[in-house]
Amino acid sequence: MRRMKAAAVAATMAGALTLAACSGSSSGNASEEPDTSGGDAPNELTFMFRGGEYDKLAYEQAIASFEEETGASVTMIITDADQYATKLQAAIAGNKVPDVFYIEPGRMQGYVYANVLADLTSYVEQDVLDNIWDFGVEAYRFDKETGQARTGPLYGLPKDVGPFGFGYNTVMFEKMGIEAPDPDVPLTFDEFVDIAKQLTTDTDGDGELDQWGTGLNVQWNSQAFVWGAGGDWISEDQKTVTVDDPAFAEALQWFADLQLVEQVTPSVEPAQTLDTYQRWMAGEIGFFPVAPWDIATYNAVAEENPDTFGYDVIPYPVANAGDETATWLGSLGIAVAETSKNKDLAAQLAVYLSTDLEAQKILAENKVQIPNIKDYAFGEWIETDAPAAGWPANTEEFLQIADEYGRALPGTWTYAPEWYDEFWVGIDQVLTGQMTAADYAAQVQPNMQSKLDLAWSNAEQAKAQG
Amino acid sequence: MATTAPEQATSRWTKEDARAARKRNAKLHRKEYVWAAAFLAPPVIGWIAFLLFPMAFSVYASFTNWNGLGAMQWIGLQNYVNLFQDPYFWKALWNTLFYMIGIPIGLALSLGLALALSRKIRGRTFFRTVYYIPVISSLAAIAILWQWAYNGDFGLVNQVLALFGIQGPNWLMDPVTAKPALVIMMVWKGLGYSMILYLAAVQAVPRSLYEAAALDGANAWKRFTKITWPMVRPVTFFLVVTNIIGGSMIFTEINIMTPTGGPQWSTASLVWYVWNKAFRNLQMGYATAMALVLGILVLIVTIIQFRLNRANNFSID
Repeated sequence: MRRMKAAAVAATMAGALTLAACSGSSSGNASEEPDTSGGDAPNELTFMFRGGEYDKLAYEQAIASFEEETGASVTMIITDADQYATKLQAAIAGNKVPDVFYIEPGRMQGYVYANVLADLTSYVEQDVLDNIWDFGVEAYRFDKETGQARTGPLYGLPKDVGPFGFGYNTVMFEKMGIEAPDPDVPLTFDEFVDIAKQLTTDTDGDGELDQWGTGLNVQWNSQAFVWGAGGDWISEDQKTVTVDDPAFAEALQWFADLQLVEQVTPSVEPAQTLDTYQRWMAGEIGFFPVAPWDIATYNAVAEENPDTFGYDVIPYPVANAGDETATWLGSLGIAVAETSKNKDLAAQLAVYLSTDLEAQKILAENKVQIPNIKDYAFGEWIETDAPAAGWPANTEEFLQIADEYGRALPGTWTYAPEWYDEFWVGIDQVLTGQMTAADYAAQVQPNMQSKLDLAWSNAEQAKAQG
Repeated sequence: MATTAPEQATSRWTKEDARAARKRNAKLHRKEYVWAAAFLAPPVIGWIAFLLFPMAFSVYASFTNWNGLGAMQWIGLQNYVNLFQDPYFWKALWNTLFYMIGIPIGLALSLGLALALSRKIRGRTFFRTVYYIPVISSLAAIAILWQWAYNGDFGLVNQVLALFGIQGPNWLMDPVTAKPALVIMMVWKGLGYSMILYLAAVQAVPRSLYEAAALDGANAWKRFTKITWPMVRPVTFFLVVTNIIGGSMIFTEINIMTPTGGPQWSTASLVWYVWNKAFRNLQMGYATAMALVLGILVLIVTIIQFRLNRANNFSID
């Protein structure tokens, strides 16, 4: 009966995927789906993950070493990043769960309630955990009883942590004769606007602005400013939407006013697209986000255009002097299937992939991520390996974000992020000045709250049903 | 039908003979039945396993609160009640309907192209190839390409508009222009396919009909409206039906070009919403209910189209 149900679910999922992919059926690049089932023989494992060529390279080497050490035979299944979550869910529903696979913290709860993920607590030594970023470990803890994330048994280990840093164009600052921001002390909002105003100028004298202070995508940058002003999207217990808090509205309005009032960004509409990313690399924007996955690209641009582009990392601005800077920190984890026939070996592989020094070196050297292992990151890497590989001067800021002040994006610790997505639906009305941030926040809060309540009720349901 | 055989038969046949003959026949038929069943089995089993069973399962799932991972909880019609009260469902349905505007536009353009490329003009094969290239290209790649083309600052579309002194909008970030922008892209993508079908249909129209019409003094417009258009109608019908079904399932373009459903949800299609609910927000039961409602709507529209087509049927005989 269980088999029948699994077959039915798999067929339904396949139908849903086909339905979703139908409009793309003429693309002519359909390929055979790999078998994601876990290994049968005592030494066989499957590892399903997503990523670019460097992830593959790093893990191929790590897995080769693991196979040599343990005699295991690991089959790697790599998928496109945008299809990974859907394929994993289909594999789970079809009872073809890989032994080891990537998992996002934000999607973990449903999997834990459905008993898909193995509890790894007893498989990982405490000293190993102590040497990984706390955020990266906590992100994969979940307490089924209370429904609280970041506490309880461990259901995964971090593949990486991704600090979303802030940066500035060093060449532009030098040319304009503006003092470089302090790498350790965050600018205040007022200082930030002052500098941004100085940077916003017509450099070629044709009567049109061609250089701007900043240009930030609201969906990825407003968190740092809202948090830096003491606001948040959700309460600490993850049960109340707090966007109607005055501090929140004030910070969001300040963010919108960078264009509406201060006019230090190119324009409202381009700021919502990736346009400012291009302008930043073209040397037309002063302040812009810098994250580890951008480093390789930024370095190439800096090398090609040293007269217009150079960059370094600084902390995100804060509302008032002395406030704590903030930004978000992402993570991707490695989990083990509860149904794996070789759970011990699979757990061993998960630990190996998360903490293997050679794999971490390859990923860091190729500027895919900062290392996972704290003593390496704060020691050899920051002192010699990172500078040698071309990481920016203040790379240490990334480590501080990972170690001290990085927070998860809102929605990560709730059962589903629908309530958080709701916030962005009409955000353009604030950015274009059609609504004030306070009015918008007051209008959207009840909808967000009802979706958050639904997420909690669905979590309860998932807990009850298993 | 009467023959002399019964007379002869009565003299020779016994009950035993008849029974043996029946047995032989039955054996022969049984063999044939077995073979027939063997040939029929794969599609029937396939249909049951991959269509009927999942559909029945989907219907059941739509009456449950289910996250797609764990056990299901029966909640009766609650998903459907919620669905009809869900403003995003209606908005996604409206967006999906809006995208259908591209169907008549695409058909008109592709018929025009087919007529043009059925003439003996220089570079005919080249143009036919050029128009067909988007059809065989990866939809994901095309979506990314158009995303750049629609870029507010650096996009090709706005650069072309700027040549005429027009300052184009930031197409995909403006709730007013986002949907039309996607329609333009879809028309472009589908043009080659419709054009090829129309081309075949146009070339199959007997020349004698045009000659006879020309002798009767019919001008080019009359020849088009009275001969070409009716003669290509089966192709038009086929394209309308398949485009409506395909258009109702639009997903990839939306997900790549406007991954959050567009400004103020202006581009989210129904299938995108279904996917979002099912895989991002773990509401598989609710998503299944929406998928079924969409399926029923498409079925109704298709039945109406078939009825209309039957009513307008004609034969040149």
